[in-house]
Amino acid sequence: MGAVTALYIAYLLTPIALLAIGSVGATWSNTMLPEGTTLRWFEAVLADRSFRQAFWTSLVVCAATVAICALVGTPLAYALYAAASRKIRLAARILHLLPVAVPAVVLGFGFMLVFSTDALPYLGSTWVLVGGHVVLGLPYLLQALIGDMRHLGLERLELAAESLGASFPQRFRDVVLPALRHSLLSGSIMVAALSIGEFQLSNLIAGFLNRTYPIVLLQAFYGATGFACAATVVLIALAVLASVTGAVAARGAAVRGAAA
Amino acid sequence: MSLVLDGLTYTYPSSQAGVRDVSFEIRPGELLAVIGPSGCGKTTILKLVAGFLRPDGGRILVDGVDASDTPARARGMGVVFQSYALFPHMSALQNVAYPLRIRGVAASERRTRALEALGLVGLAREAERRPAQLSGGQQQRVALARALVFRPRALLLDEPLSALDAARRVETRDEILRVQKAAGIATLHITHDQEEALSMADRVAVMGEGRLLQVGTPREIYERPASRAVASFVGHANLIPGTVRDAGSIDTPFGLLAASSAGRAPGSAVTLLVRPERVALGPAPDGLNTVQGAVVRDRYLGSLRRLDLEAGGHRLTVETAQAGEVSTVHLPPSAIQVLAAEA
Repeated sequence: MGAVTALYIAYLLTPIALLAIGSVGATWSNTMLPEGTTLRWFEAVLADRSFRQAFWTSLVVCAATVAICALVGTPLAYALYAAASRKIRLAARILHLLPVAVPAVVLGFGFMLVFSTDALPYLGSTWVLVGGHVVLGLPYLLQALIGDMRHLGLERLELAAESLGASFPQRFRDVVLPALRHSLLSGSIMVAALSIGEFQLSNLIAGFLNRTYPIVLLQAFYGATGFACAATVVLIALAVLASVTGAVAARGAAVRGAAA
Repeated sequence: MSLVLDGLTYTYPSSQAGVRDVSFEIRPGELLAVIGPSGCGKTTILKLVAGFLRPDGGRILVDGVDASDTPARARGMGVVFQSYALFPHMSALQNVAYPLRIRGVAASERRTRALEALGLVGLAREAERRPAQLSGGQQQRVALARALVFRPRALLLDEPLSALDAARRVETRDEILRVQKAAGIATLHITHDQEEALSMADRVAVMGEGRLLQVGTPREIYERPASRAVASFVGHANLIPGTVRDAGSIDTPFGLLAASSAGRAPGSAVTLLVRPERVALGPAPDGLNTVQGAVVRDRYLGSLRRLDLEAGGHRLTVETAQAGEVSTVHLPPSAIQVLAAEA
């Protein structure tokens, strides 16, 4: 068991380690490891206007995606959880899991068809990009929220609050939101990580001026190895930041869940 | 404060389940327990009284005022839920203070009153703990304090002890009763545990299939059940089919038994109720109602023994503290109650 785990971790970490080494290597050709150390690849990435632009676009798209998912997802999760009819719940569940099951390429093609019509000529705009990321990310947030609502028995908590005199807005503010804060946070970070790394869909629907970081990154692979490594390390750093924050938030939820 | 249910009727959408024409009164300071098999509608009664459901018919009067259309949050009922439903992100103190916060009570008074309520249930020292850091019994007491702190008009208990283990249950039973009597509040107690109901309640309401079968003191319910359904649900019961021969004797599988037919006409079918502990060992001095049979089961239950005696193709359950052989018993006429022979 231990050996399998070690092998798996090695398999997972070796490419990342090589990327990190490559990003500071001066020259790397026909050798096992690069020779010499330098920071010029990172300087080059920083100096590249299209990379700076893409980095900024990725951050904006990510922030907007998370905000919209949280604003739409919380009431939606609540509605799905509270839906009286079992059929409605099943239909909604299938519908909101579809984006997970359907390949992003299919989704992207759909977006291209819809947003290149005369009625909706918005293909290439940042908002369409955000919309695509929301569609992909929302299911994960909903899963986290609905799971937590079931685990908490939110319905009973609400009935209790109601019997104690709380109106709907009071219940939502005092009971529903605070009780869900951990899953809302961990779900949102999942959405953020997904948005930052998303390539398939973005590649199809982003315009030339609002390409996200992973799309521009692909261009780097056709240039110098060190440059490509450095550009990738930037993305990995972002992703690690998102997952570490996510893990910390999820741990908070788990600690509370286990004790409850 | 008193609570009156008057012809309360409710049917769940998309099903036949619900309650029909249920009427009873809970007097000020009284604890009334509603019991019945699962699915009999007892939880529906609580939801209707709490305001979580709106009745299709009938009224709920709180101190003589119709509250049927008052929303749950304005009804002022203190509800203790089966799973306690404490807010996980709040301390015990914040949980208990919450109804006061909603009512706009000033922070300092809120704290004083919440601490006082926690003191009443013996948890003043646990005030800063979160629900997850409290035992099941402690959570239950916090829920009780929270339901009482805002001086509700009635207390509604929904299976408050079912999540506790057997040892804690008896202890907590006394605790609830002490707090309820101290508060002097009309209390509706829903439970499936008949022993809990008989030991705690001033009066017991027995429900079956959405209808109220009988309301009475625990003693009345056990000793004078109004129907076969009540007799078989509350306690152990021998239910013996019979036919009235005349005013003082009834034909049964155990032979002709002397018992008052309670005015039923000769030839009418009846059910005889005999509690197992009322069956006497040995033959009767006058030979009346003596049954001879073979023991087919003998269960040792510590403080007593429960035997099944087979005679005339019918079983008779007997409870006794005595050891030794049993083959002859008798049914004292005073131990026999004649009920209508319903299905």
